[in-house]
Amino acid sequence: METNWAVENLQTIRTLMERSALYRRALAPIMLFAGAIGVITAIIGRLSHMDQGRNFCGLWLAAAIIAIAGTFCIARRQALKANEVFWSPPTRRVAQALSPSLSAGLFLSVLLTAVPDNEEISVVTSLLWILFYGCAVHAAGFFMPRGIKLFGWIFIIGSCGLFSVFFLGWHHFELNPHWLMGFFFGVLHLAYGAYLYLTEKKNPAA
Amino acid sequence: MNPDLFLQLDRVIHEKGRLAIMSALAAAPELSFTELRDLLNMTDGNLTTHIRTLQQEGFVCVAKSYQNNRPLTSCSLTAAGRKAFANYIGLLEQIVRQTKK
Repeated sequence: METNWAVENLQTIRTLMERSALYRRALAPIMLFAGAIGVITAIIGRLSHMDQGRNFCGLWLAAAIIAIAGTFCIARRQALKANEVFWSPPTRRVAQALSPSLSAGLFLSVLLTAVPDNEEISVVTSLLWILFYGCAVHAAGFFMPRGIKLFGWIFIIGSCGLFSVFFLGWHHFELNPHWLMGFFFGVLHLAYGAYLYLTEKKNPAA
Repeated sequence: MNPDLFLQLDRVIHEKGRLAIMSALAAAPELSFTELRDLLNMTDGNLTTHIRTLQQEGFVCVAKSYQNNRPLTSCSLTAAGRKAFANYIGLLEQIVRQTKK
């Protein structure tokens, strides 16, 4: 009876601690790294004229793989430095929150590569990626510091606005898919990374 | 079974609501009043009362600031609070170990 009471108390404490733990890894280096990859990929894509569907998707999927791998390495390094578990409950929850939208985006972009090559498909693909990424980041924001949700909204609103402009034919300028990707995945990440670098608290906990 | 262990449990922490607050704060550097209220499903009044008790014991530190021109109340554990919470957990674990023997 007494053991049950103590065990139940310990379990409740553990559950509450897991629920309240926010993902607080220093995001500035992650954002700066992802932003740098985004800008470099946009420049490479534009200069090499990889604007058609499959080339475009291949280039940006490769960039995404590099960015995700780099992000994991940076987060793991931070965890090792802080002598903490990398795959902690907050990390797991953030990964779970990110995965539905990112998987949907990946599925649709793979599907769009089956459509005959043209530049307009690349614009649609890039806007879909921006939209799904925004949704993923916003979902992860429930387990992270508040600013992340706002960052997600910028992607969602930006992509919805550009979708309207694109489909209603209001644009009197070229919507280049690489510049779109470069701006959202490169410049915005660099800007947010710089902001975090200046404002983030030192020695964050997991 | 050593009954002294029960007597050693901190009476301030050994209350459902306050234990929940201490547990939540032990896992995060700081949480806002709203985050705590939503996480623990408590009313504003109940949470305020418990936080005040913990603050008087020197276990919890309350900081008031502004975010986007709106007042923000943040709570965190003090060093004494962290130590008291660790002691409390340690005692619970001892109780479990002793009873299992």
